[in-house]
Amino acid sequence: MATTLEQQAPGPRSAEEERLLALRKKEIRDRWIWRLAGYVFFLLAWALVSRIVGDNLIPGPLRIARTIPELIESGRFFSSFGATLTRIGIGFGLAFLIGIVIGVLTQSRWWNGFFRDAVTISLVSPSLIWALTGLVIWGFEPQGWIFAIVMTTFAVVTVNVAEGIRALPKDLTDMSRAFGVTNWRRQRDIVFPFLAPFVFTALRFGFSVGWKVTVLTEVFSSNEGIGFEMRVASQLFRMDELFAWAISFFIFALVLEKLVLQRYERKFFRWRAEAST
Amino acid sequence: MATVVTTAPSPGRGLPGWVKSPKFARILFPFVVLGIWYFIYYTLDSRIFPAPQTVAVFMWEEITLTSGVRYSSAAENIYVQFGITLMRLTIGFFIALILGTIIGLAVGISKKVDAFFHDWVMGVLAMPALVYALFLGLALGFGNLGPILAVVIAGTPFVIINIREGVRNTPKELIDMARSFEVPQNKITRHVLLPSLMPFFFAAIRYAYAVGWKGLVITEVFASDRGMGWTIKFWYDAHRAHGVIGYAIFFIIFALALEKLVFDPLADRAFKWRPKMDAVQMAEGDFGGVQREGFLLIEDQEIEEGVDTTVAKGGNF
Repeated sequence: MATTLEQQAPGPRSAEEERLLALRKKEIRDRWIWRLAGYVFFLLAWALVSRIVGDNLIPGPLRIARTIPELIESGRFFSSFGATLTRIGIGFGLAFLIGIVIGVLTQSRWWNGFFRDAVTISLVSPSLIWALTGLVIWGFEPQGWIFAIVMTTFAVVTVNVAEGIRALPKDLTDMSRAFGVTNWRRQRDIVFPFLAPFVFTALRFGFSVGWKVTVLTEVFSSNEGIGFEMRVASQLFRMDELFAWAISFFIFALVLEKLVLQRYERKFFRWRAEAST
Repeated sequence: MATVVTTAPSPGRGLPGWVKSPKFARILFPFVVLGIWYFIYYTLDSRIFPAPQTVAVFMWEEITLTSGVRYSSAAENIYVQFGITLMRLTIGFFIALILGTIIGLAVGISKKVDAFFHDWVMGVLAMPALVYALFLGLALGFGNLGPILAVVIAGTPFVIINIREGVRNTPKELIDMARSFEVPQNKITRHVLLPSLMPFFFAAIRYAYAVGWKGLVITEVFASDRGMGWTIKFWYDAHRAHGVIGYAIFFIIFALALEKLVFDPLADRAFKWRPKMDAVQMAEGDFGGVQREGFLLIEDQEIEEGVDTTVAKGGNF
């Protein structure tokens, strides 16, 4: 489909097309100019506020840009990132698996009824209560923070997978049932391939919630990691370090979420959009 | 179609009908949780982990004000603590709503303004509450201002995005037609613009409130000496697990009550005239999975009209 479009010889453009093209170019250029203006405005506003209230209370962008290399030099930077990423890997990995299993189970109305309230509770409750509950039960043991991450994140994954289940092509499942296809084969050949893009979306959304909880658990129950460093910085009133930790990991997570995951999501499932058109 | 499903073999065929009903499963769930709780209670080697009845007694005493606990803050009981949080939440929420609506309208109408704000709105939206909680505590002390600002920071981006989507979703052809038939502007606003904006405005309210609350309780831990967040931290600092778990359950009850008693009836009323909420779900989609509550209840009709919203979600921002 796409190839036939490309093979069309690019004939001479009409005046109308020329005009539209110029208009679009102008639009894109305008967008970038205004975007840049936004950056300049907000960074300047930030610098101005920090100048007025004092560099120690609200460190300006330049000061933070200087602090990050200092943290890297001190050697704590990468070890903290490593510690936090390990926690995310374990905690969120588990939450992701549990979320998918529950999501797939919602095909059955019985399991759907069973987990319905669990998912609702997990969605509406703040991560703080799970962090503190896990901690007060298990202390600094890994179960504590794993519990917190799982309880906060699994529902996000489940909801996205369940949305895939809801959109499952009913004629296919009905037909497989009518022809007596076994449940396992139906899951493997119809449900799982169909769910793949939803699982990817679930991964992205789950990650965006999961890393925040992880950092929060580190504040209460860790002696390393980004959350721990942020707490120490705030207790020592080192605002520049607090901001440097926050912003560096924030940017890292955002890049991972928006650029890497979103891009791969599009790349892997491009065929799906084409097939549906 | 229905016959195909009913004649399909199901794994638990030998069981009586009521056991297989989803309603039974739903009722079963709390008992399973209770069972797991007892299991942990008897197997975990911990002196502070409470039995369910301990927590129940604690909660009862908190509600009836018979526990005799004196909180080391000006607010001495659960109602005052929750009231303080609710007050902060409401004030911050209205500021966020006003601010977000203004920016959201501007961003929705003009692409240039959108480009100006876009990355920064997304940045604030994705910022963990912990960052501004720690900062506000240090910068503003333990008064009301910090927590209220936390609600504003958490809620405003949600309002902006929803209003923006709402403005973009206004039916342009209807407005064009109204213009060509010389309908006065105030009538266009009232009958075309506002109704099409309503569902998005409502979604904005709902999510700003929910997210604002989540951010607020974390901020109260680090930047306040009273309120719900502070209270659960109080019990945590006192190493009283029954207090922490009891308050965790209070939090859940509070959130569920808010959903069931305030937002669900409001939603029913606001959308009585409207058959579907697909567009709203689309705008809600990119908020990291905060979805319409009660979504998991899959009814047969819903399955048939299920709409694939992932495309919109993936390409939204």
